[in-house]
Amino acid sequence: MGYAETPIELGSGRSSYDLAAEALEQILERTGIGKPAIDGVCFAETMSETSNPFWAIYLCEHLGLSPAWTQLNGLGGASTVGGVARAASAIRDGLCETVLVLSADAQSSWPPTEQGGQRFEFQYPVGLNGPVGVFGLLTRRYQHQYELQDEALAKLAVTQRAHALLNPNACRKLNKPLTVQQYLDSPYVSEPLRMLDSVMVCDGANALLVTSTDKARELGLEKMVHPIGYGEVTNFNGAEQLPDITESGFTLAGPRAFARAGLTPADIRMIHPYDDFLIAILLTLEHLGFCERGGGSKFILDTDLSYRGSLPLNTSGGQISAGQPGLAGGGVNAIEAVRQMFGEAGERQVDNPVNALVTGIGMIPYGRNWGVSNVLILEQP
Amino acid sequence: MSERPPIPRPLPPPDRYTRTSPFWEAAKDHRLLIQYCTDTGRPQWFPRSVSLATGRRNLEWREASGRGRVYSWTVANRAWPGHESRVPYLVALVELDEGVRMLANLLNTDPGSVRIGMPVKVCWERLSEDIEYPAFEPA
Repeated sequence: MGYAETPIELGSGRSSYDLAAEALEQILERTGIGKPAIDGVCFAETMSETSNPFWAIYLCEHLGLSPAWTQLNGLGGASTVGGVARAASAIRDGLCETVLVLSADAQSSWPPTEQGGQRFEFQYPVGLNGPVGVFGLLTRRYQHQYELQDEALAKLAVTQRAHALLNPNACRKLNKPLTVQQYLDSPYVSEPLRMLDSVMVCDGANALLVTSTDKARELGLEKMVHPIGYGEVTNFNGAEQLPDITESGFTLAGPRAFARAGLTPADIRMIHPYDDFLIAILLTLEHLGFCERGGGSKFILDTDLSYRGSLPLNTSGGQISAGQPGLAGGGVNAIEAVRQMFGEAGERQVDNPVNALVTGIGMIPYGRNWGVSNVLILEQP
Repeated sequence: MSERPPIPRPLPPPDRYTRTSPFWEAAKDHRLLIQYCTDTGRPQWFPRSVSLATGRRNLEWREASGRGRVYSWTVANRAWPGHESRVPYLVALVELDEGVRMLANLLNTDPGSVRIGMPVKVCWERLSEDIEYPAFEPA
């Protein structure tokens, strides 16, 4: 396995193709493999190029790849993690041997794609402000049902920002220290949701190389991690008309991943949860069983989540402090997990990185929790 | 830099993704329709092409009471494009007595007065000659 990540930039003016090319070059340089060894590709849909229904094939054309297996994942921020699982399945089925799981997006430079559907009639005329509006509704409902301590969200913000300051790929605009008070003073964008609860959309690309253990050894790759557990659900509670919107698909995807891995939350060395909004991290911790339902604030306040801590969390700064490269954002925390497990995280290196849990979240539906939840557990060989 | 002309508030295009014109026709008379599965009697919102309960297309429109409660709400401190002149405005998930949730604006109230569980009733905004759009106000 290998990984690649471009710097995350705001308004780079570059295209998803150009960013993807940089990620491919990094993969080749880091692993030393030749481009012909890549016989499978697993790309993520983008906000910048997906109006082109042939995006995956155009990208193959741009990169000069002729894969035997091509997969395009439209799982939003869950596409990278889901891509690793799909690549592993394809390899096990003998459809290909070595898969480039690549996500690139230039959402801050090119207009976003239209999601359409019911939105034209039942969302846009109301003026719900997209993901920010939905997470405002979600946060308010959580506050109603459970205790939400602003100090816990502030701690997540400050911890991730401190991590981002140690990450050379983090967006430069976010490269300044953050205090608890600055978080609390941050203006509301969709009250009770604050600006500093939210990601900033940027540009960037990242990639993982997935192959079998035998093939990795044949290619001379010394460093690798093993995916040992995966769980996924799309449109959680989709037929219910009155779901609890504070409950996510992680309540299903988490147990699936843990069961396959033969692990429990107590066994997890570090966690890299998808972070479009800080409260998503809190809900993820609860729904995966790191703490009880409603206990997220206390757990966060009681746990050292720094890279030196008992449960290091989003040690690259996460998307909220490193920047969200559009729909390549699902790769930011996954790449960091692999980088940590390879022992290549520099100043922010976690001691004894025996395993890692990574999550993805995709798409904002109508009046319910997020659309896709997936969980990937990685382990040292 | 030259200022771009303001984008108007988006108008709903009926029948764009599924058949919704019965809803918009009734809305002209300030009647709120929701879909029901005729096999199970279950209501659903937003409108679909199939019953969420059965996956079959046995659906009909029935008039709802227009009464419900606030399930959650938020203040749009920043506008969705086309709503700039309305900031700050209230967006809620309203749970209708019939058992569905509707995304809608809360009108004739203010952030200091709204509570989860607060009873509300439907009211209508005239967005164009053809479109009366449902919102909710304190009941």
